[in-house]
Amino acid sequence: MKQRLLYLSLIIFIGMLGVSWLTHGTGVVKNDLARNIYIPERLTMPLQVQAAYNGRDMFFRYRWPSERPGIYHDMLKYEGGKWVRYGGGVAGPQPQGIYEDRLTMLVDDGGVPEFGKYGGYVTIGDRMRFFTDEATKEEVKAHPYLGGKKNQSEVGKYLPATRSDINDWASVVSEEELANLRRAGYFLDLWHWRAHRSNPVGKSDDQFVAEARYGDSGKGPFFTNWDKARKQPKLMFDPAKVGRTALDWDDLAQRKLGFDDLYYLREDQAVPFDANLEWKDGDTIPRRVLRAGEGSRADISVAGQARWKDGFWDVALVRRMDTGNPLEDKAMVDKRVYSVAFAVHRNATGSRWHYVSLPVTLGLGRDAELEAVRFEGEAPKWEQPWFDVTLFYPGQVSWPLLSGAKHAGAEAIKAGVPVKYRHSEHQLAHYGVEMEFSDEIQRNWLLTLIGGVLLIAGFGIGLNLLLARKGA
Amino acid sequence: MAPYHAVLVHFPVALWTTAALVILVRALSDGALAKASDRVLVPLLALGALLGLAAYVVGLLVWPLETAAASPLARNHLLVATWSLVYWTLLLITRWMQGEAVWEGVTRWVMLVLAGLGSILLTITGTLGGHLSGNPTAVSRVLHFLGWDVYDTFYLPDWVLLLLAVAIIVLPVIGLWGRRRPA
Repeated sequence: MKQRLLYLSLIIFIGMLGVSWLTHGTGVVKNDLARNIYIPERLTMPLQVQAAYNGRDMFFRYRWPSERPGIYHDMLKYEGGKWVRYGGGVAGPQPQGIYEDRLTMLVDDGGVPEFGKYGGYVTIGDRMRFFTDEATKEEVKAHPYLGGKKNQSEVGKYLPATRSDINDWASVVSEEELANLRRAGYFLDLWHWRAHRSNPVGKSDDQFVAEARYGDSGKGPFFTNWDKARKQPKLMFDPAKVGRTALDWDDLAQRKLGFDDLYYLREDQAVPFDANLEWKDGDTIPRRVLRAGEGSRADISVAGQARWKDGFWDVALVRRMDTGNPLEDKAMVDKRVYSVAFAVHRNATGSRWHYVSLPVTLGLGRDAELEAVRFEGEAPKWEQPWFDVTLFYPGQVSWPLLSGAKHAGAEAIKAGVPVKYRHSEHQLAHYGVEMEFSDEIQRNWLLTLIGGVLLIAGFGIGLNLLLARKGA
Repeated sequence: MAPYHAVLVHFPVALWTTAALVILVRALSDGALAKASDRVLVPLLALGALLGLAAYVVGLLVWPLETAAASPLARNHLLVATWSLVYWTLLLITRWMQGEAVWEGVTRWVMLVLAGLGSILLTITGTLGGHLSGNPTAVSRVLHFLGWDVYDTFYLPDWVLLLLAVAIIVLPVIGLWGRRRPA
């Protein structure tokens, strides 16, 4: 009898270990859009990059997988007598799939020393947009500088030294200090290609990150098509030029419109909106109007055609090596080494639901991870091998967190140890997800630890009671 | 404290590994050598528990608890290290209290299974410690293959925690019940 009980105890003990092994890590991580939490199915993805220059222009070529091309964005659909917006920024994927794919690249020439070691993490500050504890629009708008002077309504990317306290997004240093920092090159250049808001007109947005993320001076490749007062679009398609006044929502919903179709509204193909036309349910007008852009903000163009084919985007961008705008762009100089970091938005996601890279060194005729090849002529032949980058979902990990008491590597950061030395992209992706459920996971982990100790103790007591009987 | 922890952990690892080998030999043999080696089992396990506790305490001082509890890898190391210490202490108590009776009948195979489990726990604890100090091994890949990515915190869902609570109560009850029953 006691032998059977001994076996039973052992089976229960080992059985519990088995159940634990099979079920661990479940029951906590789940999407919670109310808390701005959405975990993508895949935590990493590949990106391939090439770079080339001819002494006048700098070229980058990017290739990455995507199940389908996200070329629609931000639409106004006529519904029951009203124009309703679809495709604005939401937590996770846009439910109707109306959100553009994007490719972004941060560039630094050494002006932001932390960037070369920690990449985009240094731009993720306190209470970022779409973090669970994001600052409210009212708070940002009430900020005298960011809200009042710079017309910001959310906390986006910013650099650490632009704040007197990195744990407080609102602690912006004086305007004089900001100007000094910028003159010293303390900003990141941001190449920002958008599959809807810039690609159809052969452009990429040109931005930079300093105390906030700004567009360069001049005119960007798009503007908003919404008349707030009348609650209607400002512009519609010019029927004389394109043969229609609006798109058909069903064509968008069923993804019938491709690269060669009209799925965007260009300024030169638009006329003022006519509310007196007989609009019908399903009529759709893009909420963004595209244009060539002007000035520094229009520095970056698409080289050739950026297209999605057979499951991959293939995008090449070109810009003057020196744009003559040293306060907004990082000039590319032959024989110099830079730091770059990439990000991709796909699957109808925006904001922080992107895949990012760790920083990569870029050398113009110099040894580096990504070596830009010098060529003669107008356009590169792209004969060099691709440089492979692993992108990862970063979760809600901010620079204040990484620099604070809750990060075991904070001392290593203070000592200047680069992130690559201690963490892989795979690891960072998993940590990023765990940070989003930090409290819940910590609770269950502690209960698991205690439960395991008690299970061992319970098994030990039972075992010794059974054996004692046997030995007596 | 990290370097001191790294120095100290060598002792329990060596002692418990030797203890596991002794259990293996003794479980498989009643020969003179096996019996002789069994005589050092309790001292080996006792020293292992003592130095294991010392390494554990020093390990807790490497980072503030708030920091360690916020890192998935550190959480995992802390969890498995705690279990290892308690588990090997259980083996010590069992061998100490039951004496050579643990090698009678089927109990010897129970001891062998328990030693095997202890060795697995010890291996995982050491692997996670290696990860934390920047020296990962292929054991992590084996664990990943078996279903656990060491960069994910090991925690149980609520329903399994409840099941665990039931098992924690049932196991001593079985022992008590068995003790009152005739052989």
